Amino acid sequence: MNGVLAIFQKEIANYFRSPIAYFIVAVFLLGTGYFFIYNVFLSGSATMDTTLQNMGILLLTVAPAITMRLFSAEYNGRTIELLMTLPLKKWEIVIGKYLGAVFVFLVMTLTTCINLIPLILYGNPDALSIVSGYVGFVLLGMACLAIGQFFSALTENQIVAALVTWPVLLGFWFVGQFKAFQQTAFLRSLSDYLSFNGHYGDFLRGLIRSEGVVFYLSVAAIALILNTVYLQGKR
Amino acid sequence: MNSDEPLIALDSVSKRYGSKEIIHDISFDVKRGEIVGFLGPNGAGKTTTMKMISGFTAATSGTVKVAGFDMAQDNLEGARRLGYLPEHPPLYEVLDVTSYLKFVAKVKRIPNHKMRSEIDRVISSCQLEAVTTREIFKLSKGYRQRVGLAQALIGDPDVLLLDEPTAGLDPGQIQETREVIRSFSENHAVLLSTHILPEVTLICKRIAIINQGRVLAVDSPAALQAASEQTSNVSADVSGSIDDIKREIESIDGVNNTRAIPVSGQSQHYKIECQVEARDDIEADIAKAVTGAGNLHSLVRQQPSLENVFLKYVSESKSNSEVDK
Repeated sequence: MNGVLAIFQKEIANYFRSPIAYFIVAVFLLGTGYFFIYNVFLSGSATMDTTLQNMGILLLTVAPAITMRLFSAEYNGRTIELLMTLPLKKWEIVIGKYLGAVFVFLVMTLTTCINLIPLILYGNPDALSIVSGYVGFVLLGMACLAIGQFFSALTENQIVAALVTWPVLLGFWFVGQFKAFQQTAFLRSLSDYLSFNGHYGDFLRGLIRSEGVVFYLSVAAIALILNTVYLQGKR
Repeated sequence: MNSDEPLIALDSVSKRYGSKEIIHDISFDVKRGEIVGFLGPNGAGKTTTMKMISGFTAATSGTVKVAGFDMAQDNLEGARRLGYLPEHPPLYEVLDVTSYLKFVAKVKRIPNHKMRSEIDRVISSCQLEAVTTREIFKLSKGYRQRVGLAQALIGDPDVLLLDEPTAGLDPGQIQETREVIRSFSENHAVLLSTHILPEVTLICKRIAIINQGRVLAVDSPAALQAASEQTSNVSADVSGSIDDIKREIESIDGVNNTRAIPVSGQSQHYKIECQVEARDDIEADIAKAVTGAGNLHSLVRQQPSLENVFLKYVSESKSNSEVDK
């Protein structure tokens, strides 16, 4: 676990000593603020669900920006040679980096809570659906980050890493829409099950379902395992 | 492991990328207390070999052992006993020097109460005191190289792998870095790659000469020089009928590869170069042969410098591989 902690701290330092983290948080906060104002002040309803729905779509774009550098920058800066020859297990590298990205993501998520202040002051929002919405958002983010980190391990070009992650995340988001075109019951339920959007919808409605929790965590775990296996085979 | 066992051991190691074999069946070892110089022209396979010893890349066949641990299997155990400075110092640009070294120290499991003193130790042995709080991307090339070296020294590892440690340093820094390496070698094994010849004679106990992925010789600098003295070079300034002189010289037993180079501006003057076998009276024989057919102005038997030794091995391996083709 020492290795995980050391990598985690290094990643945090890397994010916050360069402009990336601030830029990502700022862009996300700006986007979220826009959606919030649009949804709340123009519609007049004191809820977060539409805003959280929009945040989910925004996250599909922002998550690749958080993860693109995780491995690509190590390859590019040749620091991968240090990382792979230090006494570290490959999974320690993968988990340490992942936790670093999750940390930045959580900071980003936390800043959006500023929107809750006017909501609570001037409205009477349903606290439960806000909490479950945020839980869903964090789980969605964890899955997106793991996928992004995996693709970052495949290329030394950060832009390529982001550009490959993005359509994959969009695919997971929109796969539920294909349900209507499927002939067999199996494919219909599969496209339903794989849908990021579908599970997220449950959380936004105030339902924390174990199915959704297990789904997002499994996607993250599979991506991280693939990432570890890839690193082990890279020698 | 017992104390005599080499800390770095390569046993018929080969590396293949696709169908191209980069390293052909190399074997050598480095014992405790030794600095071995890994000498070869650019592209000879030094860096690839270093990467295999470090565990960064796996050998296609053969075994690489560090401190007795097979790097194909126990590479975590090997990695704990290894300090590695790759060809390009692996630095995190946005970190400051101390944070960077702290990161490496943490991964190498330096306990918290020793952290400060360990980092201070490598900072002072690499003379980094002036830049401890500076971000790495602001450092000059010499400092970057030394931060890379400091990183490798953390935890006082048994084995030190240094891929061109003095590249990019100024003469004063080169001197200091050599001192660091020399002082380090006492209780450790150091493998140092370089293409700078004086470097190996100054600090290395043994030299491994590598070219085109093959290790051509492993021995002490003195022994390599002595071995190549068996065929040293003789050069002579002569004048007269060059064909006769050449024929006379070639007829002497133990003279090979005779070449005559015209001296510009002087007709009938030639510089003759030939390889001779080690024999005390061979100069006298050559002198006699030349004076029989023309005039001898000077005759020198060159003591082979390490440079000649190196060039000899490298050119021999080149001509062999041409024969192979």
